[in-house]
Amino acid sequence: MIETFTHSNYTVAKLQIKEANLDVAEQFKTEILQLIDKGQNLIIVSFENVAYVDSSFLGALVSVLKYAMSKNGDIAVVQLNKDINNLFNLIRMNKVFKIYNTLPDVFA
Amino acid sequence: MPQIQKKILLVDDDRLILMLFNRALIDGGFQCSTAQSVEEAMILLGNDTPDLILSDYQMPGQDGFEFRTRVLNDKRYKNIPFVFLTSYTDRDLIQRGLDMQAVDYIDKETPVPLVVSKLNNILQAIRKEHEKSIYEIRVAAEALNLSSVPANPPVIEGFSLNFLYKSFEDYPGGDFIDFICIDNDFTFAVLGDVMGKKWGAWFFSFNFLSYIRSAIRLCVFDGDLSTASILQKINRVIFMDPVLGDVLSTLSLLMIEHKTGKVHYSGAGDLPLVYYNAHEKTCRRICSSGLLLGVMQDGLYNEEIINLAEGDQMIIVSDGMIDFELNGEKKSDYDLFFNFVMPMLGETNSFDLIKNVTFSADKRKHLVDDCSLIFIEKIKTDK
Repeated sequence: MIETFTHSNYTVAKLQIKEANLDVAEQFKTEILQLIDKGQNLIIVSFENVAYVDSSFLGALVSVLKYAMSKNGDIAVVQLNKDINNLFNLIRMNKVFKIYNTLPDVFA
Repeated sequence: MPQIQKKILLVDDDRLILMLFNRALIDGGFQCSTAQSVEEAMILLGNDTPDLILSDYQMPGQDGFEFRTRVLNDKRYKNIPFVFLTSYTDRDLIQRGLDMQAVDYIDKETPVPLVVSKLNNILQAIRKEHEKSIYEIRVAAEALNLSSVPANPPVIEGFSLNFLYKSFEDYPGGDFIDFICIDNDFTFAVLGDVMGKKWGAWFFSFNFLSYIRSAIRLCVFDGDLSTASILQKINRVIFMDPVLGDVLSTLSLLMIEHKTGKVHYSGAGDLPLVYYNAHEKTCRRICSSGLLLGVMQDGLYNEEIINLAEGDQMIIVSDGMIDFELNGEKKSDYDLFFNFVMPMLGETNSFDLIKNVTFSADKRKHLVDDCSLIFIEKIKTDK
């Protein structure tokens, strides 16, 4: 579901799915929680391959953010397509998550 | 009623069989994707979830049984009905397949029209079972008086209030609507969406609604008539709740002052309110600033006050109203929705126009989520 690599203090978790929906939300949550429990609590979730996000998946994303924050960590998102970016702005997820256009922007 | 085409994933190493069945299934009204190996099938499953898998037993590399095991071990796929396709009538093989929770097996020698009928029957039986379960949940919800929408809109002098609600596949819960009249002075209109209904979150909408109903009343009894402050109080309760804190919900909260026509509006992660100004004949969107309920301790809620004059209209909607499915691709597009309803506002029958278009049978078949809408109009009085 996710492919990970580390860059300085960050762990980049790249979603390997086209539709981020109910079917994958729980598994995504499990995989990210495992990373946080291993101490990797600064996570960048890359949506490069994702075309559509539904509300179940957003729920999972916020849930892992809350967990990361309770461990003094943070979760940012990167490479949202236009529709997903609009959705994030529309429901104010842009105030909850740091959003970056590209991975180099994160590390800039 | 129009039927959505069912999707079948067909797996067989024999290209000829694949072509033959692919053709027959398409002719039989199915959408079909084909894989020549288990690996290929797993990739297809990752891209799109079929309604049924039809797979050969014997294939080079991983065979049908190994495929079945992989599918069963993946909770994303384990509930997809699985049918074995076989050229054997070996009872042991059939038994082994059925023991792996395959719903049936089909002999490759079976005449094609029979295969189509058999698949249709299987899908129909599953559908019926599903409908029966949903029906039982609905009956239980009704028996417990758990309703997420009121029976009728309230009647307020000088205003016309109405709402539309269509639940996705008739599951109860998900979106919720409520109107709370306080004396004869104020009416609160509530529209919320518990996100992630399909994974069972709908069940929480009743809890949310209870919280919200009591919070509004308690605030009003305490003299708090600010929608932003009420939202923040609800937010804090949900943020600290160990169960509800993990469930996200949007909320639009409106307070209508009956005498002045003022409407106070605050929102939590909700979609912009559509406001039609009758005097200017203009339509604009009003955005709230607050976060989804329960995300952060401080939800950053603001409060907009809109002075409704005679003929002015406003609508608030849940996100299901802006979901569209075009050529199998899903997208959420608020602008598309806004431009779609704009020409219908400012008419004497605006609500009916919107209802007829957005809730037509043709639209409903593309529903991918609950759809809700609240419509408020300050009625013109004859002077």
